[in-house]
Amino acid sequence: MSEETYTFRIQRNTPTGNGRFDTRWQEFKVTLPTTSTVLSALEEIKARQDGTLTFRQSCRSAICGSCAMRISGRTRLACKTQVGSVARDKVIEVGPQTNQPVLKDLAIDIRPFFERVRRVDPFLKDGPESAKKVTKTAYDQVNQVTQCIMCGCCYSDCTMAEVSPAFLGPAALAKSFRFVSDPREGMKTERLEFLSQPDNMWSCSRCTMCVEVCPKDVKPMEAIVKLRTRGLEKGLRSGVGARHALAFHEDIQQNGDLNEFTLMMRSVGLGGTLAELGSALHLMKKGKIPSPFPHKAEKLGELRKIYDILEKNPLDVETKAAEIVPE
Amino acid sequence: MSLDFAYFPGCAAKQVQKEADTAARAVCQELGITLNAMPRATCCGAVSLRETKPAFALAVSARTLSEAEEQGRNIVTICNTCLQTLSYANFRFKEEPELLQQINGVLKEAGVRPYGGTVQVNHLLWVITDKVDQKLLKSKIKKPLGGMKVAPFYGCHNLRPSEIFPSGDAGEKADHLHRLITLMGGEPVSYRGQDRCCGFHVMLSDKKEMRAMVATNCINAKEAGAEVMITPCTLCDMAMGAYQGIAEKSVGRTIGLPELNFAQLLGSAMALDQGRLGLDRLHVDPKPVLSSRGVI
Ligand code: FES
Repeated sequence: MSEETYTFRIQRNTPTGNGRFDTRWQEFKVTLPTTSTVLSALEEIKARQDGTLTFRQSCRSAICGSCAMRISGRTRLACKTQVGSVARDKVIEVGPQTNQPVLKDLAIDIRPFFERVRRVDPFLKDGPESAKKVTKTAYDQVNQVTQCIMCGCCYSDCTMAEVSPAFLGPAALAKSFRFVSDPREGMKTERLEFLSQPDNMWSCSRCTMCVEVCPKDVKPMEAIVKLRTRGLEKGLRSGVGARHALAFHEDIQQNGDLNEFTLMMRSVGLGGTLAELGSALHLMKKGKIPSPFPHKAEKLGELRKIYDILEKNPLDVETKAAEIVPE
Repeated sequence: MSLDFAYFPGCAAKQVQKEADTAARAVCQELGITLNAMPRATCCGAVSLRETKPAFALAVSARTLSEAEEQGRNIVTICNTCLQTLSYANFRFKEEPELLQQINGVLKEAGVRPYGGTVQVNHLLWVITDKVDQKLLKSKIKKPLGGMKVAPFYGCHNLRPSEIFPSGDAGEKADHLHRLITLMGGEPVSYRGQDRCCGFHVMLSDKKEMRAMVATNCINAKEAGAEVMITPCTLCDMAMGAYQGIAEKSVGRTIGLPELNFAQLLGSAMALDQGRLGLDRLHVDPKPVLSSRGVI
């Protein structure tokens, strides 16, 4: 097995009281097989070079979620990440998760993350919508998101959480989907009503970062998309995000292209549009106001036909978890 | 390699971000890339259509892919969200043949040619950095950037989810924008933000947050020494460029980082007609930086 000498640039955070930290970057050289994990490297450093280095770990098998930290620009599980795959010119940069307060070095206070998960009532509720019968395929949706190990990678790299501490975040939303899609859940609509409020499911910016960083392939954003579909199906369309989304299928049938001119009116209403006038003037200076009469695509009739066919005979096209066949 | 494509510019390039379209056409003409119109193609629907009408969204993509297939051409686009939407549908059709069959059933019933699953979806940037002969490209750089510090802003939907894009072009390993900057004679700036979000898709629903994203990305780039920023996406252009002034007001800080579509900077380095590149339509004038580096 080939060995390499890697330089670990590790962020050291020492609390100095009053929630302040002395932050510096410290370099350690470690020689390891390229297939070793970042976690073994950190243990090696702690054992032989600096016993004060603080980080969390437990299972070493990508199941407990304790060892999530920023490694070479992304939040990853240190026990699942091989050094060879993340070294850039043999340097590996390691820091604590972002979007949550640091406690010391690489250890963070994960309470804000769990506080969000708690906000969505992460347990089945009895109620009028509980299914009496459960079919073989009823758990296909649930199974897509149950692999979540609550490691916080998605929340740490979430681009919306970075600018909005109020945002519910990808893991809590994926957890909500786990219940909304569970046939036994009795309060689906109530959950969707909660999720339709500001800073919840409609505030995801669709950056797809959570899909990319999740070490368990939960694809939180896909779950968010499905939650939005279910919310709209229940008629929960009063928010700006929902109304904006609805504009698309109307326009595509009518013009082919988006009518950007009326899109704002339809999304934020007259009051919102007036409030946006300052921005509109700013854009107008450079001729950046869309035409009220967008270009029309050819054979638009086809789109209307497709739409009508699908309204009459709806097709379920949602991604599903592969059936789990016991060995 | 054939450089003859079905061109899918996306809604923004047809209206608000016209300059990206005219610049792309100018650059393609020089490089021998043919962009053929798709008269029947509609708005891709973005993620919004997947939310409101998931099956309709896939059918709309299939209809567009089928139009390109009928022309016998692969698709090229200059909008990241269109790239992601069409690639996502294409990926699913490849992975789930039954799904394609069902969608084709709907297309047939509506009198639309079914999609055979053979079209590749490309971003024009990938075509330029990976399909065009790099010697030819280099020879066209008549006005190199002279070491200009350029912040690459890839945009989310150019990178993620990486599984739907051809390997090497996406995810964290993507470096096409970096390579283009170096080839033009510029120096890519490394900063926290190159793979982050411009906030375009929450521009109306989460205004304050969207503006904070724009400001943070631009400030990080500027503090890392960037003189200009380039993106391969018309929506990122709108957010990081046209909305930068609005973001400045929102965060109470002047930034003033010229933001261009990659085709506009490439066209400038190729000494193409400035009118076609639409440099006057940008909110932060890039011309002082371009002339200080001898590009214009
Ligand atoms: S140590 Fe448990 S997930 Fe890494």
